[in-house]
Amino acid sequence: MTFHQFAYRNVIRNIRIYAAFFMASFFSVLVFFIYSMLMFHPEIENGFLGNVPIIWMVVAEITLVVFSWFFIFYSMKAFLEARAKEFAILIHLGMERKQLTRMVFLETIIIGFISIVLGIIFGYAFSKFFFMIVREILMLEDLPLYLSWEPFLLTTAVYFSAFILISLFSVHLSPEKKVIDLLNGYKNIQIDVDFTKRKAILGIVFILSGYGLALLTTRSNMIIFSVFIPLLIAVGTYLFFTDTTQYVVDKIKNKRFLYWKKSRMLPTAEQTFILKNNGKMFFVMTIVTTLAFLSIGLLATLSSYTSQYDKLNPLGLIYKGHIDNPMEHEHISSLITELEEKGLSYHLTRFTVLKQTSSFTNFEVEVFKESDINNLLFSYGYPMVRLSRGESMFIPYSKDSIKELAKKKVETVLLENNVRITIDQVYPELIFPSSIVSLNSIIVSDVDFRRLVRPYRNSPQYEPGYHLFTFDIPQWIEAEDVGVPIQQEVAEEYVKEKYTLPYYFENAGLNYSYILSTYSLFTLVGLLVAAVFLLAAGSFIYFRLHTNLEAEKKKFDVLKRMGISNSELKSLVTKLLFPQFFLPWGVALCHSLFAFFALQNIMKNFVNVSIVKEVVFAFVFLVIIEIIYFNLIRWRYIAYVRE
Amino acid sequence: MSILKVQDVTKVYEGKVTNRALNQLSFEVDKGEFLAIMGPSGSGKSTLLNLITTIDRPTSGEIIFNDIKPQNLNRTELAYFRRRELGFVFQDFNLLPMLTVEENIVLPLTLDQKPVKVMEERLSVLAERLDLTTILHKRPNEISGGQAQRVAIARALIHEPAIILADEPTGNLDSNNSREVLELLSKINKEKQATIIMVTHDPIAASFCDRVLFIKDGEFFNEIHRDDRRQTFFQRILNVLSLLGGGQVGDLSSIRLP
Repeated sequence: MTFHQFAYRNVIRNIRIYAAFFMASFFSVLVFFIYSMLMFHPEIENGFLGNVPIIWMVVAEITLVVFSWFFIFYSMKAFLEARAKEFAILIHLGMERKQLTRMVFLETIIIGFISIVLGIIFGYAFSKFFFMIVREILMLEDLPLYLSWEPFLLTTAVYFSAFILISLFSVHLSPEKKVIDLLNGYKNIQIDVDFTKRKAILGIVFILSGYGLALLTTRSNMIIFSVFIPLLIAVGTYLFFTDTTQYVVDKIKNKRFLYWKKSRMLPTAEQTFILKNNGKMFFVMTIVTTLAFLSIGLLATLSSYTSQYDKLNPLGLIYKGHIDNPMEHEHISSLITELEEKGLSYHLTRFTVLKQTSSFTNFEVEVFKESDINNLLFSYGYPMVRLSRGESMFIPYSKDSIKELAKKKVETVLLENNVRITIDQVYPELIFPSSIVSLNSIIVSDVDFRRLVRPYRNSPQYEPGYHLFTFDIPQWIEAEDVGVPIQQEVAEEYVKEKYTLPYYFENAGLNYSYILSTYSLFTLVGLLVAAVFLLAAGSFIYFRLHTNLEAEKKKFDVLKRMGISNSELKSLVTKLLFPQFFLPWGVALCHSLFAFFALQNIMKNFVNVSIVKEVVFAFVFLVIIEIIYFNLIRWRYIAYVRE
Repeated sequence: MSILKVQDVTKVYEGKVTNRALNQLSFEVDKGEFLAIMGPSGSGKSTLLNLITTIDRPTSGEIIFNDIKPQNLNRTELAYFRRRELGFVFQDFNLLPMLTVEENIVLPLTLDQKPVKVMEERLSVLAERLDLTTILHKRPNEISGGQAQRVAIARALIHEPAIILADEPTGNLDSNNSREVLELLSKINKEKQATIIMVTHDPIAASFCDRVLFIKDGEFFNEIHRDDRRQTFFQRILNVLSLLGGGQVGDLSSIRLP
């Protein structure tokens, strides 16, 4: 038997021991390969992802690589630790450390090779399925499977180098233990508690103040807070797992009436040990899980935003121009021609909006004419407005404003023309998107509107009013390339310091396509990253348990001899595993919840989307997955220690 | 009055190679007796202990504790039976490393969900008797082997079991600690009338007992009772052992008492 054969037989005949490590590598390769298949898709040149910049996909891919390297490194370490006794025997028999390194290297290469080959095969097999999902999410016509060498080469290169480097590193990095300790293993577990009360309290304080700031986040302080909060939370979480948890367990232990009762002693004592040895890992797990939660939550949010988009933007095209806008006629007729060429039906409404000064606030109000509004409402199919002289109605600028404005009653005089009006109603639907109308927009009766002859008092410097052309297009998504030249001029002007164009144009269909592509990007990147993160966080637990399994089995053997019934054994295992699973998840869930509170605050200022329903749904889904995973692991664990 | 009856117990391990570990072994243990079971490696000592412990079942024959037949109990009842009626002392102590000494001692009671008050009372009595008061708050890796075995004995005693089963309790100890542990066991045997069954390789350990039962290849070989002087008892044990080995004593130690 040569040395190579020895390594080979080690792997092939002990496939059960290597299975966990193999699975970890296999899944990383699989996910990476599928993603590269998408990245190298020939259709991407034709912009099938809309405007998703390829650079972001590359960034996501790099994140994936870094993360999966870390992931493989960790599983490798855990795997080597689990085999410590085997190595001890080999060293005991006179194996050099150099030879040991070589053996581990050879074994890793064998496993790596198998997992790369299988990962690519399975990845290719599942590519079509993945493409189908992507096609559905992005509403693409077709996303065919293709065959090209790039994804294969990239995956092989990335993972082969990963396996080589990691196998070389992990042996060198593992601390050199005495053979005798390795052989004895279990008995030499050192347990010394090392937490300080100060740090324990500091951890809680950091986390709570992070939460507090998250609740206070608004659009104005968001940039400072977005640096500050994660920092606080990260440090707090670290201290929480290294000190606070141990402090709490220690407090419980000092209360004998709590601690010794109802066979709580063993699982509680066990927690000290688990927390002490895995505090740092729990921290990493929590952060990783939080990131996964956030990306899933963001996805859910974005998807709801896209589905609510047409409610918030009821108009297909909007053209807003100064009263003396010289381009008005030309632009409007070109838009009409384009729409007619495309065969899209539309309903055009022309508004003349006048600015006046309100005596109530001493600020400007924008005044709409009743019959203009009714014209638009007619095409929407909304109820009409009926106003008599002196009556007036608010135009809501956002969904939430409807309720607010309904409570308001204002008696005011439009100063320029001395028209007295009472504003005591609000139109119960959103008529214009919030970017178009100002916060002070009202509708007056036609009679009153005719009396507004004198212009706005600041009129030479400021525009006394504007013309608004709204196109209500039932198939608004298809109107996405109408008025592109105008849109471009507007977009260019927008970047400049001062907006000097006499007109403004908005195409809901075009904007929607931008939003959709951002959403697609998030979907692709987010789903993938979330999947990998969750997988990784799950595997961390798995490897941790796997490493300690022998020692645990021995402990349970003692307990079995002393007399522990089946149901007691099960409940003991549950109590043992539960905190390891749900503490990092629970903390991560809590973190993400507060992150979404902050996000909800910001989003409310940007666009009027409530994300509560989506986030709750996403979280419930995640909790269910976790419970299933927990039960799966628990089942295997019990089966093993009961043997 | 016998507390344990082993009647015609046979244990056959079936596998690729069928192995008859015990063959029609019968003996009885009286209440308050200190019994040693000796025999060469592979003679079936551990199998016998596992059967008495009820974590294994005999292929044929019966084991009866105080009129209870463990064979008729289901798994949960068996667990309760072991927890209440049996105490264990192992060769490598098997103290749980994450528990302190006192926690290790009260472990059988917490498994049985006894009130904390009872635990504390019994703990203080035992700690006093076994001289463990000073190390109660230490962890198993901070105490010596002899202390660890005393802790293990305390753990075996705290739930006041009917029988204490000791598996090579001195196997990992030096001669001083061995003597201490054995004296402790015989003291408990005398003072509390505790029934102890000890499996051992060591003739010195066996010489502390009331009776020594020898088995060879899973069958009863001989038994001898203690007489007035330990020295002569020890000598007689050695004689039987030399017969046991078929003239070769190689497997067994031939130390003389000081």
